[in-house]
Amino acid sequence: MADDKRSQSPMDKVWNLFTSLKLAITLIIIMAVASIFGTVIEQNQPIEKYRQFYSDATIRMLDALNLFDMYHSWWFLLLLVLFTVNLSCCTLDRLPRVVKVVRNPKTRLDDGLEKTLPLVDRWKKKGSLQAWAEKYAEVVGGAVGKPLVTQNSETLHLYAERGVVSRFGVYVTHLSIIIIFIGAIIGNVFGFKGYANIVEGQSVRSIPTRGGSRPVDLGFEVRCNRFAVSFYTDQFGNPTQQPKEYASDLSVIENGREVLRKKIVVNDPLQYKGVWFYQSSYGPAGGASARVRVSSANGGPVADLSFHAGQQVEIPGYGTITGVDYQQDYRGFGPALLVVLKKPGGQATEFWLLQGRPDSDRQRQDPYFLSFGGLSQAYYTGLQVARDPGVNVVWLGCALMVLGIIIAFFMSHQRVWVRLTPAADGRVEVVLAGSASRNRLAFERKFEKIQDDLKALAV
Amino acid sequence: MHISLLKVTTLFYLVGALLYLYFIITLHERGARLGRMFLLIGVILHAAGFVARYFAAGYTPITNLFESLSFFAMAIVGVFLLTELRYNLRILGSFIAPLAFVFSIFAAFLPGEVARLAPALNSYWLPVHVILLFIGDAVFAIAFGAGIMYLLQEKEVKRKRLGAIFKRLPSLEVLDEINYKSLTIGFPLLTLGIITGSIWAEYAWGSYWSWDPKETWSLITWLLYAALLHGRLTVGWRGRKAAILAILGFCAVLFTFLGVNLLLPGLHTYSSLSG
Repeated sequence: MADDKRSQSPMDKVWNLFTSLKLAITLIIIMAVASIFGTVIEQNQPIEKYRQFYSDATIRMLDALNLFDMYHSWWFLLLLVLFTVNLSCCTLDRLPRVVKVVRNPKTRLDDGLEKTLPLVDRWKKKGSLQAWAEKYAEVVGGAVGKPLVTQNSETLHLYAERGVVSRFGVYVTHLSIIIIFIGAIIGNVFGFKGYANIVEGQSVRSIPTRGGSRPVDLGFEVRCNRFAVSFYTDQFGNPTQQPKEYASDLSVIENGREVLRKKIVVNDPLQYKGVWFYQSSYGPAGGASARVRVSSANGGPVADLSFHAGQQVEIPGYGTITGVDYQQDYRGFGPALLVVLKKPGGQATEFWLLQGRPDSDRQRQDPYFLSFGGLSQAYYTGLQVARDPGVNVVWLGCALMVLGIIIAFFMSHQRVWVRLTPAADGRVEVVLAGSASRNRLAFERKFEKIQDDLKALAV
Repeated sequence: MHISLLKVTTLFYLVGALLYLYFIITLHERGARLGRMFLLIGVILHAAGFVARYFAAGYTPITNLFESLSFFAMAIVGVFLLTELRYNLRILGSFIAPLAFVFSIFAAFLPGEVARLAPALNSYWLPVHVILLFIGDAVFAIAFGAGIMYLLQEKEVKRKRLGAIFKRLPSLEVLDEINYKSLTIGFPLLTLGIITGSIWAEYAWGSYWSWDPKETWSLITWLLYAALLHGRLTVGWRGRKAAILAILGFCAVLFTFLGVNLLLPGLHTYSSLSG
């Protein structure tokens, strides 16, 4: 420690740099300040979006500094690496010393130690040294922990400690950060993040990933049986525009068999073989289709049709119809579909079918009449797909971090010494001393209690 | 009912703050005693309003700007009253009560109707994540108040004119102690809040960390307080530096809470002014 700086080898200098807390604090503050950029500049947006805000020259500059994807840039990763090295070096430097101190506690209160301790008291008692030592050991044992009794010529030493583990809280916390980083690396190297838009009734097997590498083959298929949005209702029970739940009914199909089926909603994903599927978005798949029922004049159903706008469908033995228009509210009668009916050899006729009045088409007095059952919209469900084998490592790190912080902040290493020596006047001279690594106020109260209890004892 | 209950607490906080200001100016004990009483009644009414709203809405009401500002004001007053109980530091009220009032009045001007819960927020993690963070933030507010008091007091001590301000403020040692205590409670809460947020994000979005502005700003805040902690424990950043960092840290807390929602786009946009 005291040696001349110039006599340090370059290795020593590097080691000293990386074991210094100044570097740690500097790196922490640099990371904090640098992180601000990525929150002000929206990350990973298409170039067109940036053009709305920045000039071409600015875009070139920001791009050169990797500020459009800064949290994955080489310089930000370098910061993280430096930080990790710093953290590891600090631990390697300090932990062995702490272990040494913990393994070889100062069990004897000598004059040098006494001067460094904040709480010291002394008094004299008549009686035998041994008898007092036994009594005191009992009290100290009850308050702190069973004391170690050692003898040094005529002097008896009592030493008790508790909460020694609190010395390690900080290292548990630091280790947890490294474990979280390891988990993140595992996830980035061996996992993937992708997305899938699956139209109702269809299935996917390969997933395009973010970052543009090759799509991932799942080894099984995921089918979207149905997607539905449900809406909140107002106080009259009518649906509002506010979505309540997005739900996809998904099936996992492996080797042609359905092996798993689950309705997923936001906050409740599907998991199969380590791959997670999260409800993320949705949208209409193609145009809406109209449902039309064909019935014979006596009311018996003939066919149920479903067709898109402009699509011509045949009603065998009758003619063809085409849906040409749809109105949400046709002349106050509600939803209605405009169809063109063409019979073989006949003129094309055009008329409205009202959803609310399924029998209205009987007025044409034909062998068949048509009823409009409403529009159906097919949806695709937008899923986030992710496999992250590192996530449990990250959770382990998080748990350790909480544990480490609790140990470091809420536990205290408390130590109490008692020294009994024969005094010149034949009495016993007692010295009581104590220290705590944290929460000194609380310990002071405890110390006073021990003080009072010891002094109140009688042989 | 719950809306008026939540909004009427603003008045109690206002009167409480005024009484505490009266106390710091005149040093009449009665100002502090009455001020504390008003804050106490205010926070009890506030808690009742919170519970009533919980039952009216069917979810923990911390989902939009009105609800979260209101909850933050309640957390600040609650944490302050507990601090006062422990340390008997009435003068802190002159700094903290106006702060709580500001958040409360901000909330009072926002529409308070119960909104329907967005599907993304429908999770057990919502109360856990948000309440942990708001209590942590309230603890940091105490450190912020103590930090300002520290700088004022230090200026007084340096000028060697121990005048009006000096008499009113606690000693530098006590203020520094509050700074440290707040840190040892706020930091674990902030850590837990971020971790529970990560767990929730993993279940809702499929990624425990996506560098969303809110996440990033909470990390920035965490890093600032981590720097302060290490500076205090080892390099000896006590006193002035610790006070300045506590003030900066709370600015980061406020930006994480409000600035991100109002200024930056991202995933956490549940509580913008419009939404």
